[in-house]
Amino acid sequence: MTSRLPSQAKGGFNFDNHVRNAAMEGKGAALPKATKTGTTIVGLIYKDGVVLGADTRATAGPIVADKNCEKIHYLAPNMYCCGAGTAADTEMTTSLISSQLELHRLATGRQARIVTAMTLLKQMLFKYQGHIGAALILGGVDISGPQLYTIYPHGSTDKLPYVTMGSGSLNAMSVFESRWTPNMDRESAIELVKDAIEAGIFNDLGSGSNVDVVVLTKDKVDVLRNYARPNERGVKEASYVFRRGTTQVLKTSIRDMVDIKETVESIATSTAMEVDAV
Amino acid sequence: MEYNGGAVVAMVGKNCVAIACDKRLGVQAMTISTEFKKIFQATPKTYLGLPGLATDVQTLAEKFRFKINMYKLKEEREIEPRTLAHLVSSTLYERRFGPWFTEPVVAGLDKNNNPFICNTDTIGCINFAKDFVVSGTSTNQLYGMCESLWEPDLEPEDLFETISQALMNAVDRDCLAGWGAEVVVITPDKIITRTLKSRMD
Amino acid sequence: METLFGITGKDFVIAAYDTKAVASITMMKIGEDKSRNLNDHSVMLYSGEPGDGVHFAEYIERNVKLNGIRHGLEMSPKAVASFARRELADSLRSRKPYSVNLLIAGYDVKKDTPALYWMDHLASSAEVPFAAHGYGAYYCLSMMDRYHRPDITEEEGIKLLKMCINELRTRMILNMPDFVAKVVTKEGIRVVQL
Repeated sequence: MTSRLPSQAKGGFNFDNHVRNAAMEGKGAALPKATKTGTTIVGLIYKDGVVLGADTRATAGPIVADKNCEKIHYLAPNMYCCGAGTAADTEMTTSLISSQLELHRLATGRQARIVTAMTLLKQMLFKYQGHIGAALILGGVDISGPQLYTIYPHGSTDKLPYVTMGSGSLNAMSVFESRWTPNMDRESAIELVKDAIEAGIFNDLGSGSNVDVVVLTKDKVDVLRNYARPNERGVKEASYVFRRGTTQVLKTSIRDMVDIKETVESIATSTAMEVDAV
Repeated sequence: MEYNGGAVVAMVGKNCVAIACDKRLGVQAMTISTEFKKIFQATPKTYLGLPGLATDVQTLAEKFRFKINMYKLKEEREIEPRTLAHLVSSTLYERRFGPWFTEPVVAGLDKNNNPFICNTDTIGCINFAKDFVVSGTSTNQLYGMCESLWEPDLEPEDLFETISQALMNAVDRDCLAGWGAEVVVITPDKIITRTLKSRMD
Repeated sequence: METLFGITGKDFVIAAYDTKAVASITMMKIGEDKSRNLNDHSVMLYSGEPGDGVHFAEYIERNVKLNGIRHGLEMSPKAVASFARRELADSLRSRKPYSVNLLIAGYDVKKDTPALYWMDHLASSAEVPFAAHGYGAYYCLSMMDRYHRPDITEEEGIKLLKMCINELRTRMILNMPDFVAKVVTKEGIRVVQL
């Protein structure tokens, strides 16, 4: 048997539970579901840069797990990445690549290129043969202008001027196909992205809530969190606060916090101890 | 999840948070214990809820106790709830392809006494919430209860009533959870732990 | 098919096991010992995969004894249960895990209280006032819940145990031969033939 002490500095995945879980599944135990982002994510290139958009619903099966999550992840100062698929995978993959890019930037002293991030992402996803369920839209601006890529869970990539992904990709793409034109201005580009995401929000069950937008240009990035909120919750008419004492209590224990303040008092130097030299 | 049963819920109030759990341990329909706690104190003002497969609840409770103590020794300070959430997340994601069967909940006050709650799925996807988080076999019922009962800026005493009623009414519609409940309300100057009188069926 | 029982009382714990050794549908032996004394005040009962139980229980037994010799201190029932749980949980993640259900009955000499730990083959453990393993649990947990009090005497405990065994003999389709009980008190462990 291996060491009993939990390892602290080991990296990579740990497969120890896999055998046990397979045995439990074999005995008919229902395995829990991971949070997925049934999602609409989009991106397009316009005159001066890239606009990325995403809805904000996270689901676990048919249940809405988070009504206002963030699906546009930071990769580098000049790059952002929308994620669809298994929520933990998109989160962890983008943060891993983000830190690799930070190190790359420090090592080279240059702004990282979008292709670099795209290559890092596709090589990682290909290595895991699609088991890491991350479907990504990578957008940014570098030395060779605005760039937009889609990366699939198995590691294949596309380079296109306007893209959609996730369960609401068809709804969003229909909006893009009818209205996208080359060299759009900033205002109409953002509006088109918003409308594409809203097509997903209202027509795809896996997508919902609000629209997040990120606009990347040569020297400025605007993160427009909750750019549109087309699904505001109504105000409750009545309060459902219970009268205090409604719940019957068997036992109560209260732990009071005490503030301990430490102060340092200086001692006059004249009274300092002296070592007798004799 | 459904093998042993159990539920955990956490809520934000006005300068306070509350976390609550049921106390049942079962093997499918057979109840083994009614004193099986699923929430653990991480720091003086942070609690960690671990509903799910009992063996993993216990193993992870030990593992996190170790990691939290190591953090305290290395950093010479208590771990912040937000940091703990990321510790939980990376510990779970390490087992992406052979997960621990538990959906942890973190609830606490940070160093400025601001409320913090979150939960993660079995592979460590964090869900930061401003209102409430739910976990365990009674998830669906708890979502319904919390969505209707919770409101902003509840005082500690009102938050206690709200979270207790939300939990108890939710587990009454879940065969695998219930049989006693425990509620912890965390305020800047005290921690109030209460054991509730609940249905035992 | 195998059944284990445990009942705590005011100043004792009773742990009982049936003495059948079964292979598939054949009863191989009556008089099998399904318990190991871990130290002077704790005993472990096991059931499950034949072989696994003996191997695991003896492994725990020897390590608990070694710990006692090394430190000159007896491990408390809680310490024994935590150790056994962790060993079982670690083995679960190996290629061939132990498949054993356990009851750990002990008397905490320091705290002067009896203790009973229930543990299943997935290494979920809980301290309980009474417990049972196997199909017998479905019949007897309800009876224990009805008749158990925290302050019962040893005679009442034995009586409750006999009621449980009687229920198994009348209701279970399986043949239930004799049971052996081990009683743990402050004075130590002793065997009671039922």
